[in-house]
Amino acid sequence: MNRRIKAVLRKEFRSEMRTKNGLATTTLFGVFTVITISMATFDLKISPQLASGLLSVSLLFAAIVALPRTMIVEEEQGTGDLLRLVAKPEDVFWGKALYNLFFMLVTGIILTVLFLGFTGTPLAKPWLYGVCLLGSCCAFTGAVTLCGALVAQASNRTALVGVLSVPLLLPLTFLAVSGLRVAFDMKGGFNVTNGVIAGFGLVCYGFASLAGGPYLFSAVWKR
Amino acid sequence: MGPARLAILFGMLHASNLGKRYGRRWLFRGLEFELGVGDRLAIVGRNGAGKSTLLKVIAGLIPPSEGKVKLKSEDPRRSLGYSALDMSLYPSLTVEEHLELTGELRECPARIEELLEFVGLSYALRQPASELSTGMKARLKLAIALQGEPDVLLLDEPGAGLDEVGRELIEKIVNEQSQRGAIVLATNDPLERRFATHELEIAG
Repeated sequence: MNRRIKAVLRKEFRSEMRTKNGLATTTLFGVFTVITISMATFDLKISPQLASGLLSVSLLFAAIVALPRTMIVEEEQGTGDLLRLVAKPEDVFWGKALYNLFFMLVTGIILTVLFLGFTGTPLAKPWLYGVCLLGSCCAFTGAVTLCGALVAQASNRTALVGVLSVPLLLPLTFLAVSGLRVAFDMKGGFNVTNGVIAGFGLVCYGFASLAGGPYLFSAVWKR
Repeated sequence: MGPARLAILFGMLHASNLGKRYGRRWLFRGLEFELGVGDRLAIVGRNGAGKSTLLKVIAGLIPPSEGKVKLKSEDPRRSLGYSALDMSLYPSLTVEEHLELTGELRECPARIEELLEFVGLSYALRQPASELSTGMKARLKLAIALQGEPDVLLLDEPGAGLDEVGRELIEKIVNEQSQRGAIVLATNDPLERRFATHELEIAG
């Protein structure tokens, strides 16, 4: 990682630590989601299918709510011009994408701990869960960071980012559900190979979107 | 080698057939100018004529509708300094952190103490931008603009929000920049117009 990317990353951390906008939004969202789920399923045993679906949806919405902010906030507070004057687009993309990845991983871990703790759902294959969580975080980060960059200069940006994210994130959600339900499956009812393929697919999607991101970002970052 | 190529080699900034329109209205069109070391261009015109837009086009913040701008240096991050009233700073970052960030992104020495002393903002080193007055923000933006020792300095209404001492600072900056490169000022202030060696009026 070069000094320029580190500088953008440091700026993102400093801003977040002082304003706590993204952290507060995502933590509240995660806590409310898990508490609501655990209340709704109070006297039920959650199946692997339901557990994987609920966690994937929670991760998806946490990503859509928090990640585009890093791009959109530059235009909203008018600091985009300052950054355009002094930074290379690829450095801005990598700095913000790495920050988003860290943020997404922390959110994923918090959601996991809360979900497993509140619902009492057992984790059959923690290693597969780890692969799927890492893959989901990479893939969501790559896709949503780019969506944020694409809509940052539009007038109706907050609504637009949700619409634009759907076709990019829907295949990811399917993959996440496929992988996570195998990770939650205690009875061996699902094919482990399918779960591994889904986890691998998520990791590949994540790497592809992050690797291609700087090139796309260079084109959309200019006014 | 033809004369056009020579102009690019020796000039700091070359604008050819530059035009910008919003919808069907042209703010300016067919602008041709070249600036070298010591040139001070004042862009004048009524409010809304397009002075700030021209500066943003030169800075590369807005694409021109036609024509192009060429800088002597390939990398505008250091060779171009820009300061404008409507350019925002990061509210939660301190004065020091702003200069540290821009220095690292430009890959040039941050020169924090030197620049802040020059613009008279040393006392606010650790103050977040959200707590700065308009004049202090203007001084910080000037420091950021000067950080890379630019070939071309673009100042949009530089005296706006500054006190008498601040206006003297502008004169000092203009004089120092003239030794190093060119300067473009968007202004209607008669005092600032005095600094100019050339004037370009935009009718809008």
